[in-house]
Amino acid sequence: MASSISLPRAESGNSLLNALRIVPGVLLLAGIGYAGKILEHSVNAYAKSRHWTFPNIEYVLWAILIGLVISNTLAMPKLFQPGIATYEFWLKLGIVLLGARFVVADVLKLGGISLGLVVIEITLSLALMTLLGRLFKLKPKLTSLLAIGSAVCGVSAIIAAKGAIDADDEDSSFAIAAILALGALSLFTFPAIAHGLHMNDVSYGMWAGLGVDNTAEAVAAGALYSDAAGKVAVLAKTTRNAMIGFVVLAYALYWAGKGQAEIVTNKAAFLWKKFPKFVLGFLLMSLLVGFHVFSKGQVTSLGNLSKWAFLLTFAGVGLRTNLRDMSKQGLRPFIVGALGEVLIACLTLGLVIGANRIWGL
Amino acid sequence: MSKDSASTPILPSKGRSFSLDAWALIVAMLLALAVKFDVFKTVPW
Repeated sequence: MASSISLPRAESGNSLLNALRIVPGVLLLAGIGYAGKILEHSVNAYAKSRHWTFPNIEYVLWAILIGLVISNTLAMPKLFQPGIATYEFWLKLGIVLLGARFVVADVLKLGGISLGLVVIEITLSLALMTLLGRLFKLKPKLTSLLAIGSAVCGVSAIIAAKGAIDADDEDSSFAIAAILALGALSLFTFPAIAHGLHMNDVSYGMWAGLGVDNTAEAVAAGALYSDAAGKVAVLAKTTRNAMIGFVVLAYALYWAGKGQAEIVTNKAAFLWKKFPKFVLGFLLMSLLVGFHVFSKGQVTSLGNLSKWAFLLTFAGVGLRTNLRDMSKQGLRPFIVGALGEVLIACLTLGLVIGANRIWGL
Repeated sequence: MSKDSASTPILPSKGRSFSLDAWALIVAMLLALAVKFDVFKTVPW
């Protein structure tokens, strides 16, 4: 598992060489992403020319599928690994730039609704995963990691919590594997369910942002439905990510109270350290657009730059999903994760449908 | 970059001076400046 999810170690010393190491992998991400974009256009054009009724398969799905096929059929040369690992950078860059496509009023309205739903979602998810972990007799710290991962923001939250609650590497790998495997499944199930329910873009985007754990998969699941749904998914997921510090702090205090983790002396510094700073960039970009710093054409350009960044992210999502490695991680954590995720998906779907009736999303 | 920061990439590496979040912010702001001052006339999609 570790080989499929670990980032290369940055070695001190030759930083130029380190920078050059990412080039092959980044080119691979760009090539796969662009191939997805070309496939979207050419397949749709071909189907149209033949008068076939064919579902519009977005570049997002093509990029993920190409990445999945490559990572699960070929042995990826080490040369590409450092660049592939940059997918998380492209994700964060895309999110910051996407802020330009949000009017501040929308951020405040949808962000406010998101925040309310996120608080409910986090509370229910933590309680549910803790209960399931106890029922299936998982190790307490593994249960904590799964609960944090499914309640807040997937892999980043697990990594953030790992140090704070002094969890084992093995537990972290289990939790990450479960979250990634379930994230990959949600890419296909969430849009299908939403189409079946005829959900509107905002409701679906909100659901994807609340229900899908890992940020990259949440963004991809939103974009798979529509561009507008992708935007809302980013907003809801970003709101969820912003809560990471509070949840990890609560768990750190809990485990420190049991004498099994370091005592947190400065809570404010702890919260700031855990806070995902790219959220501030997203808000700043939205504010700059709100103050008319950019013309309409420039806002479109910033939005398109965001799409290019996401293109590389989606290729990375496919490339780092190694189904063989995930299957080696054991069944019990996966069952707990899967059960929890299905229940959380149902709960968040109910929350979103309720919010839609009350506020008309 | 702090070892257990929320922005720590999957398995943190020691010795990095900037977090991924900081890099994303810096690059985004540079791109925004480039767009603002017409270094890129238009970015197509």
